[in-house]
Amino acid sequence: MTPRQPASIRQEGKVFPIAFAKGFITIVAATLILVVLCLVFAPSSVSSGALAGSLPFASVLAIVGLGQMLVVQQGGFDLSVAGGVSLSVVLVTHYPAGDDAQLLPAILIALGCALLIGVCNSLLVGYMRLNAIVATIGVNALIYGGVFAVSGGVPRITTDLLATIAGGSLFGIGNAVVFAAVALGVVALIMKKTVMGRRFEAVGASPALAATIGLPVRRYQMLAYVFAQLLYCLAGILIAGLTTQPTAFQGDPLLLPSVAVVVLGGTSLLGGRGFPVSTVIAALFLNQLSQFSYAVGVPYSAQTIIQALALGFGIGIHSIRLPNKNKKLSTHSNLEETNETYVS
Amino acid sequence: MPSDQTKTGATGSNSDIVLRLGTISKSFGRVAALSDVSVAFHAGEVHAVLGENGAGKSTLMNIIKGVFKPTRGQIEVMGKPIAAMTPEISASLGIAIAFQHPAVLSDLSVLENLRVALPDALFEGTSAQSVGRALLDGVGLHVPLEARADTLSVAQLALLEIAKALAIKPRVLILDEPTASLDQDATDMLFARIRDLVAAGTAVIYITHRMAEVRQIAQRVTVLRDGRKRGEALVRDVSDQDLLGMIVGRALGSTFPPKADETGREINLSVRHLSGPQFKDISFDVARGQILGVAGVAGNGQSELMRALAGLLPWQGEVELTGSVLTSQEILHKAAFMPSDRQAEGLASGLTIRENASLAALSGFARFGFVNRKRELEEVAATFQALAVKAPGIEAATASLSGGNQQKVVMARALLSQPGLIVADEPTQGVDVGARAEIYRILRDVSSKGTPVIVNSSDAAELEGLCDSVIVLSRGKVVATLTGADVTEAKIVAAAVSAGSHAEVRQDQVAAQRSGWRHFVQTDNAPVIPLAVVIVLLGLYGFSQNTHFLSAYNVANMLMLATALGFIAMGQNIALLLGGIDLSVGPLAGFMVVVASFFINDGQSGLMILAGFALMLAAGVGVGLINGVLIRFANFTPIAATLAMYIGLQGCSFLLRNGPDGYINSEVVAWITWEFGAIPVAFIVLVAVALGGEYLLRQRRLGWQLRAVGSNEESARRIGVHIDRMYILGYLGSALFTAMGAVMLMAQIGVGDPQQGVNYTLSSITAVVLGGTSLKGGRGTFIGTVMGAILLMEVLNAVAFLGLSQTWQYVFQGALILIAAVVYSTLRNRAAANP
Repeated sequence: MTPRQPASIRQEGKVFPIAFAKGFITIVAATLILVVLCLVFAPSSVSSGALAGSLPFASVLAIVGLGQMLVVQQGGFDLSVAGGVSLSVVLVTHYPAGDDAQLLPAILIALGCALLIGVCNSLLVGYMRLNAIVATIGVNALIYGGVFAVSGGVPRITTDLLATIAGGSLFGIGNAVVFAAVALGVVALIMKKTVMGRRFEAVGASPALAATIGLPVRRYQMLAYVFAQLLYCLAGILIAGLTTQPTAFQGDPLLLPSVAVVVLGGTSLLGGRGFPVSTVIAALFLNQLSQFSYAVGVPYSAQTIIQALALGFGIGIHSIRLPNKNKKLSTHSNLEETNETYVS
Repeated sequence: MPSDQTKTGATGSNSDIVLRLGTISKSFGRVAALSDVSVAFHAGEVHAVLGENGAGKSTLMNIIKGVFKPTRGQIEVMGKPIAAMTPEISASLGIAIAFQHPAVLSDLSVLENLRVALPDALFEGTSAQSVGRALLDGVGLHVPLEARADTLSVAQLALLEIAKALAIKPRVLILDEPTASLDQDATDMLFARIRDLVAAGTAVIYITHRMAEVRQIAQRVTVLRDGRKRGEALVRDVSDQDLLGMIVGRALGSTFPPKADETGREINLSVRHLSGPQFKDISFDVARGQILGVAGVAGNGQSELMRALAGLLPWQGEVELTGSVLTSQEILHKAAFMPSDRQAEGLASGLTIRENASLAALSGFARFGFVNRKRELEEVAATFQALAVKAPGIEAATASLSGGNQQKVVMARALLSQPGLIVADEPTQGVDVGARAEIYRILRDVSSKGTPVIVNSSDAAELEGLCDSVIVLSRGKVVATLTGADVTEAKIVAAAVSAGSHAEVRQDQVAAQRSGWRHFVQTDNAPVIPLAVVIVLLGLYGFSQNTHFLSAYNVANMLMLATALGFIAMGQNIALLLGGIDLSVGPLAGFMVVVASFFINDGQSGLMILAGFALMLAAGVGVGLINGVLIRFANFTPIAATLAMYIGLQGCSFLLRNGPDGYINSEVVAWITWEFGAIPVAFIVLVAVALGGEYLLRQRRLGWQLRAVGSNEESARRIGVHIDRMYILGYLGSALFTAMGAVMLMAQIGVGDPQQGVNYTLSSITAVVLGGTSLKGGRGTFIGTVMGAILLMEVLNAVAFLGLSQTWQYVFQGALILIAAVVYSTLRNRAAANP
């Protein structure tokens, strides 16, 4: 087939990915409104000082959210976020015990453990066919076993080097923010530009379609758990640097927000296309929402309720657009007549 | 056939009309499925409804049953017009239907399937067993009543479906292709039953594709074509030729490209003795430039054959493509498959049309694993132009395209992948007339360039116009191979509807008598035994290490903890049985304790204390209702709804209390923790509630319906279960059990602490999974759940008691749930693999 000038199609409409726009516009609009609200009612929450304090933690959430998104878009669910983050936190604080020279080996060990956990999750879900929730609950408990074996539950002070790496800044931008941006860049680049990433997206968007063109669906689904753990590990390393004396449960408070940002970013919990940029913006949104609430004097408790409402609202918007795939009949295609689907 | 019946039917006057349809029309969107169909069904008569695939037969039946509402027209039963037919009304009028695809719930037993679908009155008086047995004997189905339905063969499922329809002694009985999976003996038995029913005055509506069956069983026949009534006649007055004439002759309205000339072309695809699921010993050749059609009544192995040819189903035999013999794996990559269900398999709605089209050809556009965007855009755009795809843009969403253009996107993907073979399953389904002609042209183009094309279509006229040769399948075998001038609609339909062969006897009958033990192993309650063994062994091991482990004090302590978890886990169990999940149970329990800590204090009046309990209950009712409503009416997934609830409830707890405060009334605590010997009374209550729940689950309609919804929502709806109501009840139940757990929790912590309770979400899921409940829904047990809770608490207690570090506490918990999940899922997969 000779490439011809694609006349009719490209000029008829603008080249704009509609699927991308869905979750993106919602979350961007919400974030902008929030920023305006902040400027008007709580300017202190968007001051450079406040941002410098809060953005690193938003970055950590963004990285964890990216990992969770990879799993969720493949129709999975990863409850081992908490363990994954906590383990990498204790590994990079306990092993060096304040000695900068030991930091690199500690980070390598943490990455190795993350790989191992990811493979473990993916084998249980992809090969043993366990329900993702059950498998990751179990693995999470095992990881916490590891966390206590390493730390004994006692926090240890982080190394200076790591504190500089994670807490320092580059041209006025916090290093943690740079790490999150790089993580986002890598994930987005792989997804949009590489053959593997494009196929990964397609498997998430429709496993049935991917199977008909001969893609190894299960292998892509398993891959998600491995990459997710690597991202959790990165987040854990950053937390270890940002917090002077991190506890053994540093990952726990990230579990629910990681799911929340994925959902707010427009990725369906039933699987489908993943939206990395929207997920990261959702992390900024959630973070700024807490900052705003804090600045206008809302107590911690009410902040959580506001988050729940934002989450419910976000899901509500997305679920109205999405048909409920749950209700779909099993793909028994030789129904006698095409209209033999039963209306509810 | 006794002649007097025929006479009754033939001379039937207006007075014995049971059901009359007047000018019924039904359209789905812009597609008219039925137009102005009027037909009357007489008592004591078998009335066959005949027609090709898509003629409107099933739509008509669904209108009679009240599943679909007609766009226009009247339904009269016994002379009375029915304003709006619903499945409930039709059932009360004695209209029963046996669906072609049985509405049988695979997680329930045979008896439970009968009881959940049939009115209670049927089972009154005598034992349910004997009623069930009699119903099965009536259709010659010899399977144990306790057997799980997923152990039945397809034919046995069809018989079970028929048994359900016959059970209510219907006035009107609709049978939709009942013999499709039956062998000769079962068919004879069924016909005998039909004759008995007709003799007793039932009107039987018999939908079929097979003319031989019409002659065998029916007195009257109505033929539908394109949603219109083409004719009605007494069977004895009409010849096969006339009937065939009424069935065929569809107006197509689209033009076909010229066919290939036949002279001596080389064969480029040769298939020999291909066998696989639902098809057997298929052989054919496709010459260069030719299109091969696959025809037959829908469901006779065509779609399986197509999937096998695309490498998506396993097969035995030989496939030779342009000189090389291919394996199934090779054919998967050689063949481009165009699936019949575009929405499910043909397109990914989340991706743009460019991404959909280029998916199979990505490596061709790539260098070092990176896709060259310019090349991709150029080639996709060129292909779209060659196929004349009309779309708002190359990045348009698939949903913005018409059916025809969607199909062209699927074709573009097939062509871009440069396939060695194109397998097109119903390529023009849901495609408008104009686009059909273009699709025919494209397929012909591809074929004439040397790529073999195989088309399956339920539309015989389309095959006549498009194909150079056609194989006709019946019951998975080729019954005719038509070539050249023989490729006509009439010959294709004649071959398909005249085939009289029956399904082969492959009745892998469930052994009629199995011991009670074998049945127990199959049931949901089977995990109870290994759980009990593990609990006892662990207890003994702990005892051997430290005799205090089984001291009255420690046992009471463990049981008390297990009681709180047990109640909450029972709530979780309900959500999982429904096929959902409830992440909010933990924070809900915590929230209830916080609420209680404002009322149930020392020195409060009895009224205040009662108010505290009432508020806990009210919180449960509110949360359960909101969860259920969000899931059913706001389209939230169960995870999303209960996750939002989780976060919200946690916030509410912190809103009420910043830290631990509000000590619980010590007298109330003493009552709740009252012990009888080493056994807390609350634990006895837990066991009693679990047994009660178990009874409801196995013996009452509510329990069957709950499991039916979790097992298969669609089938549950068809047998008349109110799905929305069950979901809301289920989540209410979950929250109420959580309230009982919260009472225990309150007594344990003794203070309103906003941080407590949250962990119970994950522990409850762990306990339920240990108990053997499947997260897929439909299968599970309350007794197992309670034992799971006991085991979990015993393990945690043992770790502390044996002086092991916290590490082991986590490791044991994790290992326990993973081992249980792996063991159960392996066992289930094995059971499913060889029933």
